[in-house]
Amino acid sequence: MCTPAAGRGRVRLNVGGRVFETTTATLASAGRDTMLGAMLDASWNASHDDAACGGGGSAAAEYFIDRDPACFAVLLDLLRTGGLHVPRGVPEATLYREALYYGLLDRVRAARLGDFDGDRLRLAASVPGCAPGDGTAVRAAPDGGCCVAHGGAVRVYNWMLEERRPVYYPGHAPVNDAAYLDAATLLVAARERPGRLGDDGGVAAFSALTGGLRHRFRVAHDRQPRSFTAGALTFDDGGCSFFASCKGRFNEYGIGVWDANTGEQADFFYEPPGCALGDADRLQWLDGTGTLMVATMFPRTDSSFISLLDFRDKSVVWSWSDVGTPASLEDKHAVHAVVMEDGRSVCVINQYDDLGFLDLRSSAGGVRWRSRSKLATSGKTKALVSEEVCYPKLATYGGQLFASTGDTVSVFSGPDHVLTSTLRGGQGGAICDFSIGGDRLFALHSEENVFDVWETPPPAII
Amino acid sequence: MMNGGGGQKKRGTRIEPFRHRVETDPKFFDKSWRKLHDAIREIYNHNASGLSFEELYRTAYNMVLNKFAPQLYEKLTENMKEHLEDMRTCIDAAQGGLFLEELQRKWNDHNKALTMIRDILMYMDRTYIPTNKKTPVFDHGLELWRDTIVRSPTIQSRLSDMLLELIHSERTGEVINRGLMRTTTKMLMDLGLSVYQDDFERPFLEVSASFYSGESQQFIECCACGEYLKQAERRLSEESERVSQYLDVKTHEKITTVVVNEMLANHMQRLILMENSGLVNMLVEDRYEDLTRMYTLFNHVPDGLTTIRSVMASHIKDTGKSLVTDPERLKDPVDFVQRLLNMKDKYDNIINVSFSNDKSFLNALNSSFEHFINLNNRSPEFISLFVDDKLRKGVKEANEEDLETVLDKVMMLFRYLQEKDLFEKYYKQHLAKRLISGRAASDDSERSMLVKLKTECGYQFTSKLEGMFTDLKTSEDTTQGFYASTSSELLADAPTISVQILTTGSWPTQTCNTCNLPPEIVSVSEKFRAYYLGTHNGRRLTWQTNMGHADIKATFGNGSKHELNVSTYQMCVLMLFNSSDVLTYREIAQSTAIPAADLKRCLQSLALVKGKQVLRKEPMSRDIADDDSFFVNDKFTSKLFKVKIGTVAAQKETDPEKLETRQRVEEDRKPQIEAAIVRIMKSRRVLDHNSIMMEVTKQLQPRFMPNPVVIKKRIESLIEREFLERDKTDRKMYRYLA
Repeated sequence: MCTPAAGRGRVRLNVGGRVFETTTATLASAGRDTMLGAMLDASWNASHDDAACGGGGSAAAEYFIDRDPACFAVLLDLLRTGGLHVPRGVPEATLYREALYYGLLDRVRAARLGDFDGDRLRLAASVPGCAPGDGTAVRAAPDGGCCVAHGGAVRVYNWMLEERRPVYYPGHAPVNDAAYLDAATLLVAARERPGRLGDDGGVAAFSALTGGLRHRFRVAHDRQPRSFTAGALTFDDGGCSFFASCKGRFNEYGIGVWDANTGEQADFFYEPPGCALGDADRLQWLDGTGTLMVATMFPRTDSSFISLLDFRDKSVVWSWSDVGTPASLEDKHAVHAVVMEDGRSVCVINQYDDLGFLDLRSSAGGVRWRSRSKLATSGKTKALVSEEVCYPKLATYGGQLFASTGDTVSVFSGPDHVLTSTLRGGQGGAICDFSIGGDRLFALHSEENVFDVWETPPPAII
Repeated sequence: MMNGGGGQKKRGTRIEPFRHRVETDPKFFDKSWRKLHDAIREIYNHNASGLSFEELYRTAYNMVLNKFAPQLYEKLTENMKEHLEDMRTCIDAAQGGLFLEELQRKWNDHNKALTMIRDILMYMDRTYIPTNKKTPVFDHGLELWRDTIVRSPTIQSRLSDMLLELIHSERTGEVINRGLMRTTTKMLMDLGLSVYQDDFERPFLEVSASFYSGESQQFIECCACGEYLKQAERRLSEESERVSQYLDVKTHEKITTVVVNEMLANHMQRLILMENSGLVNMLVEDRYEDLTRMYTLFNHVPDGLTTIRSVMASHIKDTGKSLVTDPERLKDPVDFVQRLLNMKDKYDNIINVSFSNDKSFLNALNSSFEHFINLNNRSPEFISLFVDDKLRKGVKEANEEDLETVLDKVMMLFRYLQEKDLFEKYYKQHLAKRLISGRAASDDSERSMLVKLKTECGYQFTSKLEGMFTDLKTSEDTTQGFYASTSSELLADAPTISVQILTTGSWPTQTCNTCNLPPEIVSVSEKFRAYYLGTHNGRRLTWQTNMGHADIKATFGNGSKHELNVSTYQMCVLMLFNSSDVLTYREIAQSTAIPAADLKRCLQSLALVKGKQVLRKEPMSRDIADDDSFFVNDKFTSKLFKVKIGTVAAQKETDPEKLETRQRVEEDRKPQIEAAIVRIMKSRRVLDHNSIMMEVTKQLQPRFMPNPVVIKKRIESLIEREFLERDKTDRKMYRYLA
């Protein structure tokens, strides 16, 4: 005879000696595809009910789980409230391990991070690197992990900031850029080194989980496969194809296009005279117009050149260059560029941290520089002797504009791009690159290879 | 396990750190696997109650943690295969109809076991599987089932044969276990779309095709078209029910295509053209239900509707042609048009009810009507006569709303006419007759008909017709004015006249010699003429005595008094008898000067119509000879005080009249064609012959179809008059001369 009310609703768990009592509904909210969900499933409890009924005594079923009770308390709290509260004394790594055991890791991740907001970022971690030399690029993964490219290796971190097996480009060719195709696949662009024959440089896909090589993307000119140096990488809006700036050994400069699914070369935009494409520092796909922004910036070249390419009719639909502009006293150069999210203007920044805008809707007219009195650097005494110059970089996310200047990332909001936050992390000197993705901002410092992780805490309850 | 590592001492004392060598139990994997292996066996044996999930999960977790995942995966595969081999033996052993049930039972067992095994190995699914690109445990289990059971040589063909056999017996009317069918096909779908398609769907479609091809052969030999279509419809709905009961939704389209192809598309021509029951019969007999069925069924067939449409169109053309060319029908124009209207109604109904008001069918209907109506060049006349009939009788037999609908329908027929100008001509004549004789039943209906014509053909078409209405109105005013302005003494004893002044050009007037009016009338009409010409400058009045009518009071010899309603001609004749008793035809003709044909007709109506014999004729024969004599019928009686003497009138045109109208129409067309040519050439300057032909035809089509020969003649005439010239180099080109 079963006593329905008490027996059905309540469940008693003995985790590592500590007894927890909860409801089946709370545990079921974890989902059938978790350890707790499976444990309570009818298929595993066919006899349990019988036994309980037969025994007649204890109505609530009791399960024993041979795991750490402290972590379980946190996870049970997560299931009950949806919020994650980690008390002192519970190391994050242990919590993550336990969460993985129960199959609750995704929930923990979701509860840890709030929606990305540039003005509410908190420094979550500073991860020291052990690579010799400077990092070239940091890239955020869609799931909250990241990768840091330096020299011939790309170090890959999962969202718990545990390092995975690094990715090496075949032949340890120096890496120029990296990009996540998805959370498990990493594209790497590498430089071709002089003196080597054939198989060197180019673009390849790797497993971000194991570091294994998946595919090498080839370029053929006149049906002849050729080796090349790949520069910047980017995807189109659907993630179906990706672009890379390419420099071939025989002056085959331009932008290559590959189908991300088949791995075959889909197109190649040869560099027209007067347009620098093969050397580009930065590519960006514009959803609205179906065009690609290509920016080749100082100091890689003597002058900066930005253009919009339309691959459908193979034309340069818009371009800007500072070649013709009279050299000012300070010798300002645009050193980085980003297309604003509305797709109407390009934001550029010069080596003195001044922001400027270019209108994409008219081909005439130069940069409108904003008179900005060093807002970002006003608070600190700038090190006069900076050993290395890190040129500023730009990014846009969720309607906000981000600029790295010195050791700080400045956040600009609103239609007029008002400075709303400055992010200054720990040690590590100037920021040489930063990236936003997976609800996090990663800033790579030029010294020590430290990268800072900024994330938005969950919103306050009241 | 810890072993203290002994360091070698060479010189001096050096303390070496312990070397921790953590060694796992070499039997760890085997022990752990044994545990899982036993558990899996129990699970397959439905004996899982003794198992502790937590323990098994932890065991699997530890194996993965200790990097034994690849071996674990391999062992699991091997183990599941063994279990599946056992199952296959059981299934193989099942006899006959039990086979499916056994398969089903084992499938359920495997699924349940697989769920539990997946639960145990969940940690491996989360960690090892994605990084190593392996198939997750559950899907792997399904693949094994597919390869070991469903695609094993003993089961694969047996399964598909069994399924197809069951479906066949259901098609032949037996009841089968649909639940079992559903679960079996569900199993194939669960194993992946390709398994369902390759192992079941393809053979199913093939078998269905041959089944229906055989069945349709059998049916078409012995069934009428309607029966056959019913059968096809039933089969189609059966198949779609089958799909909804136990097949994949995507099969629906495919099996429908198969049935449609086999039962309908392959026999389309034969079905539609089937003698005594095909489309034509259905149309003739108004079998809406069958027609609807045919429409919906052949909607699935490519070209199906096109075929139906063309058969229907040619049928309409044929029946229409036989209707309009039947000499019997030509005798009664009203009936002729009524039949056309009925036919139009019939097909409108069919298209509306059965062909879901398909636009293309309506178009076909219209073009067919247009085709056959114009086969008879008297159609314009008949339609106008029909309208005349309706408007004259009008309110007498139906209310105005009904009349409106009839007129609307007539307008439909009118639209089909190519020679709209011919219709206009006739309509004008008939309208004039109605108006002058005051027999237009309803002014509103007349005007509404005019509005319809105006919207159809434009202002130009009806301006003259409207002029006729205006004339009547002004005439009334003028007559009133005449009586108001003339002193009553002057008119004393003189008969009252009402004059209708018809503008030349607006009315279809025939030039006719004015007859000699009786002196009483002459005096008053001369007064009127004086009045009218006094008020209007520069006009000319001609009396159209052939169109008037008069009311005269007569006192007969027997003392009876009557008021006679007669035409002007008849009045002239009767007035003669005031002064003499007997008159011969010749005498009458001399003194009245009425044209012979008219006079004969009017005498006939006065002397020979039964019950209205005002005059008597000697001899009493129908035909009138010159020497026949007439005298007043003193014995004239009538129940009515007012007697209307009709004119023996030819409603329908006689052949010479017809010829005349035709000629007049042709004559009228000439200036229109010329105007069109000049309009075109003025804008184009230079144009070749064929283009002119085309343009002119296009411009004039709304009114009539110009004859190419006539156009050519007009061009020549224009060249003669130096509006155009031929190009000197290219004779086919014409040049406009400003």
